[in-house]
Amino acid sequence: MAYLELVNINKAFAETHVVHDFNLSAQQGEFISFLGPSGCGKTTTLRMVAGFELPTSGTITLDNKDMTQVPPNRRNVGMVFQSYALFPNMSVADNIGYGLRVAGKPRAEIVQRVEEMLALIHLEEFGKRYPARLSGGQQQRVALARALAIHPHVLLLDEPLSALDAKIRVELRQEIRRIQRQLGITTIYVTHDQEEALSISDRIVVMNEGHIEQIGTSSEIYNFPKTEFVANFVGQLNLLPVEVIDLAGGLVKVGEQLVHTNQTLDHMNGHVIRLAVRPEELNPGHREGVNNLSGTVTTVTHLGPVVRIKVDVEGRPVSIDMFNERKLQVPAVGECFDFSFHPDACWLL
Amino acid sequence: MNAKKTNWWALLWAVIGLLYFFVPLYGTLDFSLRMQRGVLSLKAYQVVLADPQFLASFRYSATMGLITILVSVLIFLPTVYWMYLKVPQARPIVEIITILPFVIPVIVFVFGLIRTFSGSPFQLTATPFKTDILITTGYVILSMPYMYRAIDVGMRSIDVRGLTEAAQSLGSNWAQILFNVILPNLRGAVLSGSLITFALVIGELILGDFLARPALGPYMVQVGRDTAYQPSAMAMMSWGLTWICLGLIQLVARGSNSQTLTGR
Repeated sequence: MAYLELVNINKAFAETHVVHDFNLSAQQGEFISFLGPSGCGKTTTLRMVAGFELPTSGTITLDNKDMTQVPPNRRNVGMVFQSYALFPNMSVADNIGYGLRVAGKPRAEIVQRVEEMLALIHLEEFGKRYPARLSGGQQQRVALARALAIHPHVLLLDEPLSALDAKIRVELRQEIRRIQRQLGITTIYVTHDQEEALSISDRIVVMNEGHIEQIGTSSEIYNFPKTEFVANFVGQLNLLPVEVIDLAGGLVKVGEQLVHTNQTLDHMNGHVIRLAVRPEELNPGHREGVNNLSGTVTTVTHLGPVVRIKVDVEGRPVSIDMFNERKLQVPAVGECFDFSFHPDACWLL
Repeated sequence: MNAKKTNWWALLWAVIGLLYFFVPLYGTLDFSLRMQRGVLSLKAYQVVLADPQFLASFRYSATMGLITILVSVLIFLPTVYWMYLKVPQARPIVEIITILPFVIPVIVFVFGLIRTFSGSPFQLTATPFKTDILITTGYVILSMPYMYRAIDVGMRSIDVRGLTEAAQSLGSNWAQILFNVILPNLRGAVLSGSLITFALVIGELILGDFLARPALGPYMVQVGRDTAYQPSAMAMMSWGLTWICLGLIQLVARGSNSQTLTGR
């Protein structure tokens, strides 16, 4: 049996159904991310695991114990909030030791645990400081240490890095993953940032409008999306309307240009379906293999490591990503532009 | 160098404000020192302090003030906290209720109290102790607009839900959340509410007079009817004692936050 299990969880606020039939089994020590757009129900689901919301129906089991109706202060679940929620009246050390103090642990044990936690988050020198005198990143580390100090069964993180700047976010998410691996603690991480979810999770639960679209590893979610929503939400995607030309041969037509897909089509010839292909799987600037398309460059956008070129292919916009380098020759707007791709790069929706 | 520009308008209004407060105070102080013709002396103060009734009435009002603060905090802190956490939509109704003491004249309120609670089954005017309970409830209601607003402003300045949920996830029950987490972060707000409540109770006249309790307000009015300089001396002394009491409250409230667990 899984360590943490959510079975047929539903949640409704008055007439609004925010979580539908949510099922998840997490193994001990697993790092699972809930990924989805705002309002998809990921935070509500996390709050049900924490006990701040009660499910309308369904059960939550933790280590074979039914937790569905257990109040949050008796679940032994560590929670890290987007707003840090550090106690402003307490020093860093007192914040970290608070849960142990409430549990009535002896002072010596609390002091030892607080020092362990300060070492874990590399803030040994900050024990006597007050939260107001820490940076956002430091505050979030303290919040993490405070949640971990009580030896929780599960660690829950609700968009913990959203309020931080980009560089700190990357550093801190690696730090969170390092600590999670070191302690082997089962973790649920809520985020709307796909890069964050893809980079640190063992498995990702992609959610949309209250239900699960797909559960899988980063690679499964990115390379083999099961629904159009997942394909569109995770990573960049070109979705092109195409006409089925050859049912058995997997041949379709983008405008007047032929595309081989290596897929068996279940649509009649002449039907219009959609071809999906990632921008990074398009080879820019030359013609090779069986799939070659050409169009007119409409925009060129520098995104740092990547240059994104938008090409109009017979009225259909297509994004193509080129790795940036100093001597990169980028096409000019209005120029004719060729690109190619392997039949395995495309899938049909 | 980037020298700060002086805001003369702000300064002017600050000076006007200070004059408005301190000129009458100075006038009262000056008058209280002129009991002996032609010289400045503390004669009026000596006369007042020689009257045991003054200290007794001050002690009574100060005690009532402290009890009122305690009761108000115990009522309004959990109420406002609960409202913020669970029923934020009730806020407009609560706001209207809390301003009722401004709308209902105190004299009407006192008669209502007496008519309702002096008879059976309450009989709250039967003994001095019971009357003190009644007068305390009266003071709590009169100070409600100030205490509620002070706590309300304090609650707005903190992340009530976040702090509550963080404390809950760390194992706290409701009482621990309220007294370990919420109250210490509202100390400034509660202190300012207490300050106004204390000052209100010290100077309150009508409740003390109509419920026949030995409060400072009725005593000062009585002395003011009979003498000239002593009321000014009493006003200065009660003003000074009020500030000393408030200072003590602040000192006591500050005392519990000096130890941290560990760290350098």
